Amino acid sequence: MKATSVSSSSLSNAARYQQMRMQAELVKATKESTTGTVADVGLALGARTSQAVTFSRDLDRLNVIIDSNSLVTARLSSTQDALGQLSDTAQNLLTALTAAGNSSSTITQQAGKAAVQQMTSILNASVNGEYLFAGTNTDVKPIDDFTAAGSPAKAAFDASFTSYFGFNQNAPQAANITAAQMDGFITSNVVPQFMGAGWQANWSNATDQQIVSRISLGETTQTSVSANEDGIRKLAMAAAMVTGLLSGNLSQEAKTTVVGRAQSMVGEALGGIGQLQAETGLAEKRVSDASDRMKTQVDLFERHILDLEGVDPAEAATRVADLTQHIETSFALTARLQQMSLLNYLT
Amino acid sequence: MSLTSALTIAQQSLQTTSKQTSVLSRNIADASNTDYARRTAVVVSSAPGARSVEIQRAANALLFRQNLSAQSAWSGQSTLYSGIDRLAVAVNGVDNASSASTAIGKLQNALQLYAATPSNQNLGSNVIDAAKQVVRALNDGTNAIQDFRTQADGEISTAVDDLNALLSQFQDANKAVISATRSGTDASDALDQRDALLKKIADYVPVSTFTRGDNDMVITTKDGTTLFETIPRSVSFTPSPGYTAGTPGNTIYIDNVPVSAGSGGNTSADGKLAGLITLRDGVAATMQSQLDEVARGLITAFAETAPSQPDKTGLFTWSGGPAIPAAGTLIDGLAGSISVNAAMDPSVGGNPGLLRDGGANGAAYVANTAGNASYSQLLIAYGDKLDKPMPFDAAAGITVTSSVSDYAANAIGWFEGQRQQASTNADAKEALAARTAEALSNDTGVNVDQEMSLLLDLEHTYQASARMMKTVDDMLSALLDAVG
Repeated sequence: MKATSVSSSSLSNAARYQQMRMQAELVKATKESTTGTVADVGLALGARTSQAVTFSRDLDRLNVIIDSNSLVTARLSSTQDALGQLSDTAQNLLTALTAAGNSSSTITQQAGKAAVQQMTSILNASVNGEYLFAGTNTDVKPIDDFTAAGSPAKAAFDASFTSYFGFNQNAPQAANITAAQMDGFITSNVVPQFMGAGWQANWSNATDQQIVSRISLGETTQTSVSANEDGIRKLAMAAAMVTGLLSGNLSQEAKTTVVGRAQSMVGEALGGIGQLQAETGLAEKRVSDASDRMKTQVDLFERHILDLEGVDPAEAATRVADLTQHIETSFALTARLQQMSLLNYLT
Repeated sequence: MSLTSALTIAQQSLQTTSKQTSVLSRNIADASNTDYARRTAVVVSSAPGARSVEIQRAANALLFRQNLSAQSAWSGQSTLYSGIDRLAVAVNGVDNASSASTAIGKLQNALQLYAATPSNQNLGSNVIDAAKQVVRALNDGTNAIQDFRTQADGEISTAVDDLNALLSQFQDANKAVISATRSGTDASDALDQRDALLKKIADYVPVSTFTRGDNDMVITTKDGTTLFETIPRSVSFTPSPGYTAGTPGNTIYIDNVPVSAGSGGNTSADGKLAGLITLRDGVAATMQSQLDEVARGLITAFAETAPSQPDKTGLFTWSGGPAIPAAGTLIDGLAGSISVNAAMDPSVGGNPGLLRDGGANGAAYVANTAGNASYSQLLIAYGDKLDKPMPFDAAAGITVTSSVSDYAANAIGWFEGQRQQASTNADAKEALAARTAEALSNDTGVNVDQEMSLLLDLEHTYQASARMMKTVDDMLSALLDAVG
């Protein structure tokens, strides 16, 4: 009877399904044009959502590592600074020792004492509640103050003198100590106290083990200097010898030996500290390089995430405008269709 | 021929016209009923000179069948999609905010901060808090999934009851059709009712039908199980009171044949029943396995090791602790039983410092023997282990070897992949269902304007017949006047 027909119900419902779809689309497009990212990442990316998830997680991690690197950098630059001061201290001591022949031994001894005190205060510096030179044992003061009353280091030093010579530095017999005897004492008793087991027993609470930090996603490095390094031990030894031996009743000959040994020791200490400064500088460089690298990565990751999740805001805005227009047209048409009926013409 | 016969013919015409008008008004009344098929009152000549009206019902078996199958496909797909959508929010949260992957990312960050300053106990507590978030994400995820499965089970049970009720209504409608057909009366209303029921049944299961003598209809499911043949076949299902991870759900039986679940995001499951089974035993169960594997990965990554000692649980432990779960083997429900080790949890008197130093399982496991405050090696090692690939059970459906943090991200990728496919195909299948419904409506539905124009025709016929009678009446009375 009819080639193509249309039923009244499909005529009145014709636009309904499309309107529904367009309105759902409009909600999405509005969200996208205001946020600049896709409305539903999961639906937009599907299985690739894992990439977006991984990227944003790695991005967070990189930012956290960059933050924690700034802590490490602070520690390293404080360390570098402290090493510079140590080097100055050593230099001053060396100057005093060089001038020792022309000045009284008391002045030299005072210079030694000042060096010990300076060194102790530098080595016991703390940053962020952690002792800088303590190795990993950062909650314990690394260096014993040799000049303080009751210092175990001083006691051990004096005891070794007494046990070697049979009297103390201030005894009248001390004046008879020969240069060779003094040299023997230093070699066999003083050196082990600093370069051997005596250092850990009397002087230092620091550990040889240094703080290890992760400075990038896959890189760890040592980021502290321990007070147990040879350069520091040698400086401590020189300063302690000058402080502990020049005060007493020693013969000029013995004192000269002490000054001579101390002088060469400070020289070695300066070299050692220089080495430490270089190592610290290298670590600082590694950390700052790692941070720079990670900042570049952060930029890249942000771009990747934007590539994955971002939408062109202009495109989204155009879509909103288009959809609004379509929906309005569709409403107008629906109203017209509802009016269009033969009934209106049958009277 | 006589005036009387002219009068009889006009009378008959009036009768026919009023019958046609009644059919037409019925059409108009049901114009917006989508289950109504338009009737046409056709005048046929039964014997020479005799006319009768026969009611024909517009039907298009092909379009109807197409509509039924589109309806089933859409019903299954939309059930799957809405279920996946619900699961996404319940387990992963909006924008994956409460997902295990996000929580693991935060744990890694907390660990990095603690490793940078191990002497700070607050940062240690911070790591434990982050670990608790991970545990909560996994525990809550497990609960949400099992709740979801229980709900799906309840929905299946309701759907099965509905289907049984529909089938018994179908029996009545079918009987009405048969008896109307046998007695030769108009079966149109009964047919409308039967088709409407068939559409509803197709929502639950995909159907295919064939009609036998006397318009008797037989329904089978798409894979050939008989659903209705003279009497409805029973659809049976026993709901489970609750679900735990790894418990398989009960099967739905139609005529003692099990209904199979569909597979894939673009699901092969047609109809609501298969869609629900796919959700309950497919998507939700796989998601649970993945959470369990994430939990196992975490326990393994944070295990405490010591020379010549067995590995034991560290930061994370489980119901089978302190032993470490076997490598590469799925343990059902692990995500529900994972917890933060009480030895490290300050809120129950534990010491977060054990994470830095080791020793949650006794002195043999202490790594920082000197108790140094800035010992970071162990913390850094844990961070490395989270990024180190380890074997995962293939049964959980995604990558077999990856790091635990990547695995958690991949789990989201797998799930969103399913969701995207389900969404795209739900749209496509909805469009097809809407389109076939429209085509069917166009072919068998009522167009009011057309009916109104037919009404005008009928009105004219009626007027003409009435005029005819009047004229004959006039002629007869003229004759009678002349006679009288």
